[in-house]
Amino acid sequence: MTGITRRGALASGIALAATPFGISRSFAQSGPIKVGALYPFSGGLALLGDESFRGLEIAIEERNAAGGVKGRQLQIVRGDAVDPNQAVGEARRLTSVERVTCVFGTYSSSLCLAASQVTELAQIPYFEMGAISDPITERGFKYIFRTNPTAASFARAMVDAVRDAVAPAFNTDPKSLKVAIIHEDSLYGQTVAGYQKKRVQEIGLNLVETLPYSAKSVDLTPVVLRLKSAGADVVLQTSYQNDTVLFFRQMREQAYKPKAVIGAGGGYSLRDTMQAIGAENMEGALDVDFTQYQTNPEAAPGMPDFLKKYQAKYGMAPRSGHSLANYMGGHVFLDAMEAAKDLSAGALRTAVLAVDKPMGSTATGWGAKFNEAGQNERADPFLMQWQGGELVTVFPKKAAVKELKPVLGT
Amino acid sequence: MDILVQLIINGILLGSMYAIISVGLTLIFGIVRVVNFAHGELLMVGMYATYLLGAHLGLHPYVAAVPVTVLLFAIGALIQRFVIQPLLGAEEHIQIFATVGLSIALINLALLVFGADLYSLQVPSVHHSLRFGGYSLLVGQAVMLLCAIALVGGLHLFMQTTPLGRAVRATAQNRNAALLMGVPVERIYVFAFGLGAACVGLASALIMPLIPVTPSIGSYFVLTAFVVVVLGGMRSLYGAFLGAMIIGVVDSLSGYYIAPDLKEVVYFAIFIAILIFKPTGLFGLGRGTE
Repeated sequence: MTGITRRGALASGIALAATPFGISRSFAQSGPIKVGALYPFSGGLALLGDESFRGLEIAIEERNAAGGVKGRQLQIVRGDAVDPNQAVGEARRLTSVERVTCVFGTYSSSLCLAASQVTELAQIPYFEMGAISDPITERGFKYIFRTNPTAASFARAMVDAVRDAVAPAFNTDPKSLKVAIIHEDSLYGQTVAGYQKKRVQEIGLNLVETLPYSAKSVDLTPVVLRLKSAGADVVLQTSYQNDTVLFFRQMREQAYKPKAVIGAGGGYSLRDTMQAIGAENMEGALDVDFTQYQTNPEAAPGMPDFLKKYQAKYGMAPRSGHSLANYMGGHVFLDAMEAAKDLSAGALRTAVLAVDKPMGSTATGWGAKFNEAGQNERADPFLMQWQGGELVTVFPKKAAVKELKPVLGT
Repeated sequence: MDILVQLIINGILLGSMYAIISVGLTLIFGIVRVVNFAHGELLMVGMYATYLLGAHLGLHPYVAAVPVTVLLFAIGALIQRFVIQPLLGAEEHIQIFATVGLSIALINLALLVFGADLYSLQVPSVHHSLRFGGYSLLVGQAVMLLCAIALVGGLHLFMQTTPLGRAVRATAQNRNAALLMGVPVERIYVFAFGLGAACVGLASALIMPLIPVTPSIGSYFVLTAFVVVVLGGMRSLYGAFLGAMIIGVVDSLSGYYIAPDLKEVVYFAIFIAILIFKPTGLFGLGRGTE
């Protein structure tokens, strides 16, 4: 039995090795352009991985309907990145077996960090449209580009919101507000909180507490009581779903009512979180995240159109803003591919670095202008608020659909 | 001072949550002598069952507790009969691998069926705050404490006064001697594993209205439950109960006075200290009985 499988494996290995590269390449010139789509399609991250992919899928379909890139149709080759190990394996398959022109992805930072090492070595451009970890574009890689904002922009937006949005809504001096930072203590929370602390000092706010906690905690009462005894007015929380639910429930149990709570996307943006907490308790909670759908369409041209297409294709409303961010990123990179001299990695890099879209010109409301490291410098997350069970954009003014309500809970 | 009292109250209530789970783990370990790494996942299964009964049939979690406890008893008994029993003669680490494998399988089954999203039940009556003299506790937590006390008391009575309880104790003390006395040891094992799982069923129905369920929820509890069981002396029901209370209060106090992210450090330090200085646990019966 083992003999047979071994022989089989050997035979397929030979077949692989014998594939004449020259032939397959010249064939590819006339056929469709293969692009990799690397997302977690199964496992614990699958829900939002799939949601992210849908945005890319719609962008590519639109492009194909409009004649494709350089007159050739685009063909998506999916890679299922369940965890960093598999992300590496799938990235190898996409680059060496499927021989894709570029890879789109990935939603999760740890998956992107792992997979992009493979593509960088293979000199295949990696287009990231959802992972927020800053180091992704800080490793000196030549062929990684990212359209979405990073953890540092999230942190900055949260802290600046205290000064620019919360304090004016309460008619107080921002420096009189006692600010507290709480965060789950894995890499995600640590990173965002680190940037927050720096920013708080830069703009001179009054930081009274910084409390890390484990996201697997089943009791956050100690955190709530610490905040209560410190008299924190504004709480900045970087969290997943479960700990967000627990925090809101236990805040109420301990009768702690800060003026405002600002979340860093993650657990805060999901409808399930709001339902678990209850719309009346989530009322007024602020959230900094990728652009969501209750945003002024004038600041995000193309979004209503995307919503219609999404509804028609999948028969439901988008489950989160991830699809929109991937839709926007997909278009930016596909435009760059069209503009490039040819589809080699070098030409694609030149084309991406030449992209220049002003703020407010894409479906997410972001612009696109990449620095040498490959990071889009015109992507800022917006400030949103839960109002009547809906997450509505409240800041900046141009993108807002509602006024910021100075309440928390009803 | 106010805060200290409130923290101790919270700690005891948290402890009662750990207590119900740990009592189940202690039963399985003490009688069947299997370290059940799938214990947390049994909790997860129970919580989903409670959720389904609540969301689709409108059952209050406290009513759902009855069918969920029975269901978990059955699942536990089946696990013992078809997973553990065939491995009884095998080495201990084989049994451990079997329960670890079961745990991974259950987590992925839940991912397949329910996805990674969280599900929660809105039960306002459970979230009602009872306030007295400036301190507060939830109805749901108070019920948990009462159930924990009733469970330990009930199991004690059962073990001490019924013939079946005596047979269980005999099996736990010496398997071969019990066998010679005509105790159907294998059936006792099936029963004991079911009983341990049933405790988790009770816990899951009580926890469901307080904490939303996800496929990985078991891992939030199970490590702590192991610490509690070792602290309590591996086989002692009261040990597990008191151990849970100690861990609950330590968790609550260190979370406030030291730092919320360091509370695990504190109770794992206690865990290591126990292993070094009193390996049989606070209420163990001495060397060789663990």
